[in-house]
Amino acid sequence: MDLSYKANGSYTEVLASGRLNMVSAPKLRTFVADVVASGSNRIVVNLQDTTFMDSSGLGALIGCLKAARQAGGDLRIAAVQPQVKMVLELTSMDRVLTSYASADEAFGDE
Amino acid sequence: MNDVIARRSLRDQATPESIDAVHAQIEELWNDASFVPDLDRMTFATAVIEAATNVVQHAVPVSPAPVELGVDIFVKAHSLRAEVSAFGAADPELGPDAEGMPGPDAESGRGLALIRALVTTVTFARQDGTNIWVLSRDATTA
Repeated sequence: MDLSYKANGSYTEVLASGRLNMVSAPKLRTFVADVVASGSNRIVVNLQDTTFMDSSGLGALIGCLKAARQAGGDLRIAAVQPQVKMVLELTSMDRVLTSYASADEAFGDE
Repeated sequence: MNDVIARRSLRDQATPESIDAVHAQIEELWNDASFVPDLDRMTFATAVIEAATNVVQHAVPVSPAPVELGVDIFVKAHSLRAEVSAFGAADPELGPDAEGMPGPDAESGRGLALIRALVTTVTFARQDGTNIWVLSRDATTA
């Protein structure tokens, strides 16, 4: 999995490309923790190029959500693909990690 | 009708890297079974990866030798089947705790519940000192 980020005004977008599984889950946790530590607490994880996510990857996203909230912000996800959507729905985590159509829309209501 | 149309097998030391090898085997498998619909590919692959990850994360070796992960996948005309084995692993003694989805704050513990939601049947057996998960998914009927 390749990880990158860019500051987009009121939020920071984290782009996660590839498979989010037990191999890459710890990398995502560390990456987002570093972004939060650098002062960004409003994070959008853009999953448009995340082709696969399992429960380890989901656990990492939940950990990242907690980290952002503990820093007084929030974490949202955008552009989920069918496999990721399926995992979110089957675990009922779509209620906690709401998916937005695009990174721009994720904090668009604020 | 019940003939195996395509098959992939691997056996390797149970390490995080072996999970990427399982991904690769599954992707190759679809080259030989292009008739399998996307929904079945997606659900089955997710279940197999969850089971293999469970072996890598939780299997405890019974001897100084490391646990080995075995994955055997079969495509038949109307079903997909996988045997995910932990060779040289202790009996996991799965209890009732293995059931159900944990709360929304939990960062782990969803694997087994997710497998059950993804496949038609899932069985666990301990045979000759090997833990074997058998996952099977009936084809989606259009």
